[in-house]
Amino acid sequence: MSGPDGCGCAGKGCTEKTPEEIGRRAFLTRTIVALSAVITAALSTTGLGYFVSPAFQRRDEDWVDLGRAGDFKAGAPRLVEFTQRKRDAWVTSERRSAAWVVTSDGKTFTAFDPRCTHLGCPYRWDAGSSRFICPCHTAVFGPDGKVLSGPAPRPLDQYQTKLEGSRLAILPKAEQIT
Amino acid sequence: MKAYEWARERTGLDQIWTALMERKIPEARGWVGLLYTLGSATMMIFTVQAVTGFLLATNYVPSPDHAYDSVRYIDSQVLFGRVVRGLHHWGATFMVVFAVLHMMRVYFMGSYKYPREATWMAGVGLLLLVLGFSFTGYLLPWDQKAYWATVVGTTIAGTTPFVGAMIADILRGSDGMGPRP
Repeated sequence: MSGPDGCGCAGKGCTEKTPEEIGRRAFLTRTIVALSAVITAALSTTGLGYFVSPAFQRRDEDWVDLGRAGDFKAGAPRLVEFTQRKRDAWVTSERRSAAWVVTSDGKTFTAFDPRCTHLGCPYRWDAGSSRFICPCHTAVFGPDGKVLSGPAPRPLDQYQTKLEGSRLAILPKAEQIT
Repeated sequence: MKAYEWARERTGLDQIWTALMERKIPEARGWVGLLYTLGSATMMIFTVQAVTGFLLATNYVPSPDHAYDSVRYIDSQVLFGRVVRGLHHWGATFMVVFAVLHMMRVYFMGSYKYPREATWMAGVGLLLLVLGFSFTGYLLPWDQKAYWATVVGTTIAGTTPFVGAMIADILRGSDGMGPRP
């Protein structure tokens, strides 16, 4: 840079400077670069946080209340129909679904997804033989969900269960048991 | 520094640096020199608009059913949602301001004269594009202000002689605003 305001280069009117001194141009350049870096960092942190935030979102657990746990009798699986309300962002949706609830002692409960693991048909409980029987292709499951015969590739899918006081709640998300 | 040298040899970093930081301008001295930053400022805002616009589009739903709710969702639930929308909101305003100021600079300094006529023509096209984006973007929040501003804007367009009704239909997408009642 040239001119009477002094600089670090070899233009006319310029004095030689020691390496430690920085000229006006170099100072301004460094300031601009530093400020730009700060602005870029602030903007990209904001944008990046916004972009990746779904990965760190707290998810609602959609437990559904199925009523008093005492109403479920040992050895008599019962199909419970329920309506699940789910919130996703600004949309609340309702989904009707069902679960087979089985208990052998009235204390621990197992909830089965009501669709056969073969091709998704709704199966039924046969009280006479104490088995779940699918009417479509005669898949047969025991009260523990295990495959007894037929074409089903894996045991009945289960829902998580928990007791809240004296009430039974399930998380209607089918989990495969292998 | 090694990475910088590597990139310097293989990309046009030096040319970009020269174009941005060491551009030759006629009046480099005093406050007049600042007027030459208006174009860069417009471009900077455009970059911010493009990036924040992309980010907002990941949550926004452009339909009368969901537009308003999705904007409220961005404002209240999404991390930094208010900041990103705020940047886009104010960026949109200042994009118009700086584009017009930049055009005035070019006009009053005569920078559109030979051999720069094509630059001027391109600039007029870009300015119209900015105003178009400004008008259509204003509708997106789908609140009362957005709705009625667009009613007014499209009605004004509808007063054009002969083709007005057609233009208004094109802008509104039908004979009314929003879904048919």
